[in-house]
Amino acid sequence: MRNSRIGLATASLIAVAGLTLSGCAAADETEAVSTDSAASTATTAGDTYEVYALLPQGNDQPYGTTYLPPMEAKAAELGINLTITNSEYDGDKQASECEVAVAAQPDGIILWPALADTIRPCLEAANAAGIPVWITNADVNPEDTELTYGYSGTDSYGQGAASAEMMCEFVGDNSIGIIQINGLTGNSVATLRGNGFKETIASTCPDNVEILAEQPGNWNKDESQIAASEMLTAVGVENVGGMYAADDSMVAGGIDAFKARGLDPKDYIITSIGNTFLGNPLVASGELMGTVFQSSSWDGENAVVGIYRAMTGDTSLGRDDDASVLYMPNPTVTIDNWDAADVTPEW
Amino acid sequence: MSSTNSIQIGQQETSFWGRLRLTLARRTEGRGVALLAVVLVVVAFTEPLVFTAYPVSLGRIALIGLVALGLTAVILMGELDLSVASTLALSGVVMAMIPDVALGVIAALAVGLVVGMINAFLVAIVGINSFIATLGMLFALRGLGFVLSNEAPVRMANTDAGIAFGLPLLGPLTPRVLIFIVAFIALQIFVSRVKAGREFFAVGGNRQAAYDAGIPVKRRIFTGFLISGFVASLAGAINTLERTAADPTAGSTVLLASFAAAIIGGNYLKGGRGSIVGTLIGATALGVLQVALTLTGVQVPVQQIFIGLILLLAVTTDPANLRAVLGSIRSVRQGRLKSQT
Repeated sequence: MRNSRIGLATASLIAVAGLTLSGCAAADETEAVSTDSAASTATTAGDTYEVYALLPQGNDQPYGTTYLPPMEAKAAELGINLTITNSEYDGDKQASECEVAVAAQPDGIILWPALADTIRPCLEAANAAGIPVWITNADVNPEDTELTYGYSGTDSYGQGAASAEMMCEFVGDNSIGIIQINGLTGNSVATLRGNGFKETIASTCPDNVEILAEQPGNWNKDESQIAASEMLTAVGVENVGGMYAADDSMVAGGIDAFKARGLDPKDYIITSIGNTFLGNPLVASGELMGTVFQSSSWDGENAVVGIYRAMTGDTSLGRDDDASVLYMPNPTVTIDNWDAADVTPEW
Repeated sequence: MSSTNSIQIGQQETSFWGRLRLTLARRTEGRGVALLAVVLVVVAFTEPLVFTAYPVSLGRIALIGLVALGLTAVILMGELDLSVASTLALSGVVMAMIPDVALGVIAALAVGLVVGMINAFLVAIVGINSFIATLGMLFALRGLGFVLSNEAPVRMANTDAGIAFGLPLLGPLTPRVLIFIVAFIALQIFVSRVKAGREFFAVGGNRQAAYDAGIPVKRRIFTGFLISGFVASLAGAINTLERTAADPTAGSTVLLASFAAAIIGGNYLKGGRGSIVGTLIGATALGVLQVALTLTGVQVPVQQIFIGLILLLAVTTDPANLRAVLGSIRSVRQGRLKSQT
């Protein structure tokens, strides 16, 4: 009984301390806001800008590792102080980070949505606080674009579609069955690329390419090898004439699965997305027939360019002006151009 | 003339400091309180915005703490529930699939109770180790969430209701924070004032003795897992409402954070020792630390180093571990002295 009283007393103490702190904080809040306003005025005069970059990955992923340095370099060039977070593709964590960012009252927020479907409350909060939000890498849902100042990055759906167009072109008048390896289940980019690929196959070469099975590879080479191996067993190796993977790491895993069965990948029509350090040599060797180039440096750099435009008034809320969308060029890479300077792999 | 014989074990402390010392020795939250004090002082100097933006900090504490509170009920009995994150995700998906918000919340909570019931059945009746049983449930529930959601986030039909739910309700406090406070008070009263709750400590401390004392051990295990499942599904419903959509991959960082909060708060993983207050303290320390690290832009790997070190500090400074270490040092020294003589 005594213990429980002490427990409640401790809790009460914490509550009182919290409320006291809250009271102090409330008193200081007006001062903080006015200081922020002054900072904001100073920034428009050419000083530094404070920007939060809410990303779902960072140095823990190959793409993030090469996305960050150009982003930071561009930010330094434009006088932007970046505070970068990494939610590890956890939508709840990113939402909490967004609350923290809004509370910090920065001049702008760069947002790479971990999950496009769960991001609207964050956009509403930033909008209510008058903080411009620029979306990078993966766009928000169409109904949420009105709450953003713009988007720079890939056309994820278009990348899937471009990979499918290559597949249809390589197949020609023949008919084959393929297996499909998708990205992380539920992830916006994975969903868009998957839909782009499937819908383009269905519209461009429905009689020539049949998707026999699909599995997530979670953007991971090892998991993709297992997924591909299981699909080959499930549908029968003899029925498979090709493979599509949503990125080069996963296609490398899938190709390893073919090799483990004693199959020569060069005999199969395989396409992917990325043209990474892993994928480019596979294109050169002929094991990967085609991939879609994606530049992480362009992506990181233009995220900063976008928020700078938003903060300086070059683009406004919504997507009404041409400057509000910057699509990354996504050329296809095949055996004919794998060593061209404009498609040199970056990640 | 009659004489009274009494046996006194140990020395009775009557002074204030003596009683305080005894009280502190009995409590398990000491390390958590010390850690929280250090975190609050450091953060106050380095990132005072954590306190200025206190509604955000409270929201983060509630995010980590709610699942941890439910988990504590199981940990006190020496059991584990690894399925909480999957329960959170599945209940969120079920809720978002139902257009009516109220019905959706009820369905989500029902999912948590059913999951708790299955976990308890596997542990108490079938006799499977709780680590293995709930690990199996972790995968099964995650898979079920993916199947039901068609492997994609499920948007709520009424997103306005969700956005309204995320707004402050009482002063600066959002419904999430208020629910967390209510859950804390309810569980604290249950564990400290209600007989069934107090028996959790007996079940965790010495299960055979609990059986011998006539405590319905299996019923208590059912109660513990029901609480854990219910609270996890409550967190899932809150997350879905606040985000206006359910994510079948949700909760990927919840499981470890919840365990960390409970351990930092002094809860003993083998059961029998710990408290709900301790979990609150652990969640507060972790939440404040995470908000401060986010505000300062510290990268996730470095954040993980901080949290890992704190966890290690919490475990290695456990009085039982310290006594064991001191005992080992003493016996080594005595051995050396003997060999010298």
